[in-house]
Amino acid sequence: MEETKKFIVPIGPQHPALKEPGHFEFSVEGEIVTGVSIRLGYVHRGIEKGAENRSWVQSLYLFERVCGICSHVHATAFALGVEKLCNVSAPPRAQAIRTLVGELERIHSHMLWLGVAAHEGGFDTLFMYSWRDRETVMDLLEMLCGNRVNYSINLLGGVKFDIDHAQRDAILRGVDFLEERSHHYLKICTTDRTFLGRTRGVGTMTREQADEFGMVGPTGRASGNKRDVRIDAPYASYAEFPVKLVTAEAGDLMARFDVRIRELFESFRLIRLILDNLPQSELTARVPRRVPAGEVVSRVEAPRGELFYYIKSNGSDQPERVKVRTPSLCNWGSVTQTAVGSKLADMPMILSGIDPCFSCNDRLVNIQRGDNSQVWTWEDLRRYGIEYYR
Amino acid sequence: MNNLTVPPLIAFLFFPGGLFLMFGGMAYEWIDRKLVARFQNRIGPRWFQPLADVVKLLSKEEIIPQGVDRILFYLLPVLALSAALASALYVPIAGFAPAYSFKGDLVVTLYMLSVLTLCLGLAGANTPNRFALIGATRTLTQLFSYEAPFLLALLGPAIVAGTWTIGEINFYTQLHPWQMILTQPLGFVVALVGLMGKLELPPFDAPEAETEIVAGALTEYSGRGLALFRIGKNVELLIGLTLVSAFYLGGVGNPLLFVVKTVGLLFVMAVLQSLFARLRIDQTVGLWWRIGALLALLNLLVVALFRALA
Repeated sequence: MEETKKFIVPIGPQHPALKEPGHFEFSVEGEIVTGVSIRLGYVHRGIEKGAENRSWVQSLYLFERVCGICSHVHATAFALGVEKLCNVSAPPRAQAIRTLVGELERIHSHMLWLGVAAHEGGFDTLFMYSWRDRETVMDLLEMLCGNRVNYSINLLGGVKFDIDHAQRDAILRGVDFLEERSHHYLKICTTDRTFLGRTRGVGTMTREQADEFGMVGPTGRASGNKRDVRIDAPYASYAEFPVKLVTAEAGDLMARFDVRIRELFESFRLIRLILDNLPQSELTARVPRRVPAGEVVSRVEAPRGELFYYIKSNGSDQPERVKVRTPSLCNWGSVTQTAVGSKLADMPMILSGIDPCFSCNDRLVNIQRGDNSQVWTWEDLRRYGIEYYR
Repeated sequence: MNNLTVPPLIAFLFFPGGLFLMFGGMAYEWIDRKLVARFQNRIGPRWFQPLADVVKLLSKEEIIPQGVDRILFYLLPVLALSAALASALYVPIAGFAPAYSFKGDLVVTLYMLSVLTLCLGLAGANTPNRFALIGATRTLTQLFSYEAPFLLALLGPAIVAGTWTIGEINFYTQLHPWQMILTQPLGFVVALVGLMGKLELPPFDAPEAETEIVAGALTEYSGRGLALFRIGKNVELLIGLTLVSAFYLGGVGNPLLFVVKTVGLLFVMAVLQSLFARLRIDQTVGLWWRIGALLALLNLLVVALFRALA
């Protein structure tokens, strides 16, 4: 088309396809997408800044609230980082329980994604079924710690809750049920013809593109990217209970379904292994109130991919700087890459294919123009936020 | 085997036209929603939910967006509903003889049923909303894909019965109850699935795919207009089910048979709705022209051969 006027379809900030606010503009010719622009930042909450005037213990609870789906993994990353700064390591039983809850959380996150992605493709039956079965793992988590969302099982230096025999049996029963259901879902996602029509060859990322855009987690692994923090740099008790790498080669949406569901089986196996070999020890180690000065990088594998924490202490009882890089931020680039040339009807599925988590990845970048002030206070940030939306 | 008849004025205002159709349509919408909900392991709506929806919509403010043709905006929902209601006069609703009938009313009825879809498309194209525009394009694209196979499929029984009058075809199928379903299973399948395409039910709901284009062509409609379009769709569901049962399932001779056959069909449709992922619009068109039209033509060919040999 020689016309400069483009037909732009806006998706968001409020749109039925989006469960969280983000703004996407797709310029289309007919049904084919010719350009994408992404604008994020509608749910910036200033958590990194907020941690700077809270104590280390308070910050742990704050970071658990970065994400509503993978809350445990954030707290784990922060706790592991702080423990490293203090030269303390949590007792083995605590590490195993952390790992166990992390895997339960991965099951819950992947099943949630399965439902959302199916819904975006108009397959509401799968959506309803997978969310019904997800209740099993939610109930297990609630049984362990009393909460469905923020499990709050981590402490600096250990965990709060132990697992007794009754809980162990309940988890094993739940895992058996979920494994059976997951086989069913894997079969649907790899054999159902109408569903394959919406996923096979859609949103394909090659290995090279995946590397170039720095894709992480199951999204990257579906493109044959062999990276998993649990294997490359084992944390908590992943060294004692190793995970097998789950990858696929195709890089399309179907491969992402495939990888995520097969990761569920790996989680089931790991949960059984941990429950059978739960080490006996204390649950907590003592962590000083003032963390020694220093800086540390803590990496964990969240359900969506590599979660990166940079923690800096100046020796006081509050962190000086915490930087969180969530996996969703790494994966956005792939959307801009795969969207062009795809059909508009596939956009919701391509968007949800990376399992995006919007509020986790919203950050404020301040570009200095002449002004010499380097550090914003909480007040500055708050005022900026109010002005921004005025 | 004679159908009962009703006086003209009652036919027009209450039965089978008018009020009966509206409430009947709501009842069928409820059955459909409830069945799909149960198949999806949900609880589903209570029995008065469709009525409550309509009452609520009718009492709401109707917002007219800037940049629309106001007359068209008001007229289209009315036109859509009245076309759907008018087509009921030629159809043996609830097992009674059609209120009116003339030679070739089958073709007129099918066109009246398409008016609703045309109105939907126009309503979408009338607003400057981008979701509505895409929805309208998809609605009309879908119309062009299912309409021909649907028509071809319904012509099969008409040719066998040797008449183009719906009432007479209904008599014929009542006299030969097993003939159509045994001789024309292909036509039956095409007609039933065509009806789903017509009503934009899943998996043919690309024109109103909420995760892509919000509510499609009806995005800008609220209040009264939306209520009328919804009633129109319900009426069309009822009429479509009646037509398919009358043509393929041995006719509808009395109210009991009518309810049993149409609800049975609705059950099959609800199963189909919950089985599949949404088809993209290009997949829908491909399906209809590559498979649907071929099946319908094959069906017609068999019928024609049968007629020539008999």
